[in-house]
Amino acid sequence: MKTWLKILIGLAVLGITAAVLVYVFVYNKPHPDYEKLEAAFSLSPQELYSAYTGNKVDSQKKYNGQLIELTGALNKIETADSLVIAVFVFNQGMFGDEGVRCTMLPKYNQVAQTLQPGGTIKIKGYCTGFNDTDVILEQCSLVK
Amino acid sequence: MLILSLSMGAFAQKYITKTGYIRFYSAGEIEKIEAINRQVNAAFDQSTGDLVFKVLMKSFVFEKALMQDHFNENYVESDKYPNATFAGKVVNMKDISFGKDGVYNITVQGKLTIKGVAKDVKQTGTFEVKDGKILGKAKFNILLSDYSISIPSAVSRNISNNVEITVDIVLDKVNN
Repeated sequence: MKTWLKILIGLAVLGITAAVLVYVFVYNKPHPDYEKLEAAFSLSPQELYSAYTGNKVDSQKKYNGQLIELTGALNKIETADSLVIAVFVFNQGMFGDEGVRCTMLPKYNQVAQTLQPGGTIKIKGYCTGFNDTDVILEQCSLVK
Repeated sequence: MLILSLSMGAFAQKYITKTGYIRFYSAGEIEKIEAINRQVNAAFDQSTGDLVFKVLMKSFVFEKALMQDHFNENYVESDKYPNATFAGKVVNMKDISFGKDGVYNITVQGKLTIKGVAKDVKQTGTFEVKDGKILGKAKFNILLSDYSISIPSAVSRNISNNVEITVDIVLDKVNN
């Protein structure tokens, strides 16, 4: 085989390999596994809520998009369609109870619905921000 | 501020949800992109027709993580503009019998703010009055370019400038 043909085939293989790698690891990369990742912050639900209501702009910069672990007394579990939401309540407003709302990962839906109000839980989730009534955590898991 | 201004009014009856559904769908030439947000706050005041929505941009979930990253970092810049809001009114309140179960066509007019850009919008949808709740539905299109969201030419065939928005909310009655 001629040298130039070998080089051409080598480059083609290299190109195809690079394209496959980019597709698998970049374009098709999986969502972060929030259950397994370590939280960037660990605090109480009250501290998180007070941080946002006290200084929304600074708290958005600090906590939005971060994985946060909360330890505190649960107030209630809400369900809406397929969602199960652990709720910590610290205020009353036009939207009723206001506080921190943690939407569970589907695999925790069943166990979350057995949690008793008043009991202390440790929960970890991805903070999407404060909507002027509640701090929202998504993809939440219960921490043992 | 939107919610505060609504809350300061004298309510005959208000309805709220914290688990509203909004779907974003872009049918580009090469691929379809969909994102869903199930944590939407919405409030409706039956006495005035006021209707407000507050949407956390980081709560939109995409099938592909890369798309979600690009959406937040490059397109809507959700660190800088964490919320999208709508503040407006149902303008044909006389056509709705809140005491009678049924599906009613509604027209909603107000300001939609995305990425800090507020635009006047007027859209149609339905209110279904059922068992003391209001089930609100709407489907409409927006142009990303109207909200200073520019699509790089390299991916212009992947993402459509014309995006379909689907709204589906179940508003529960709140007794003051």
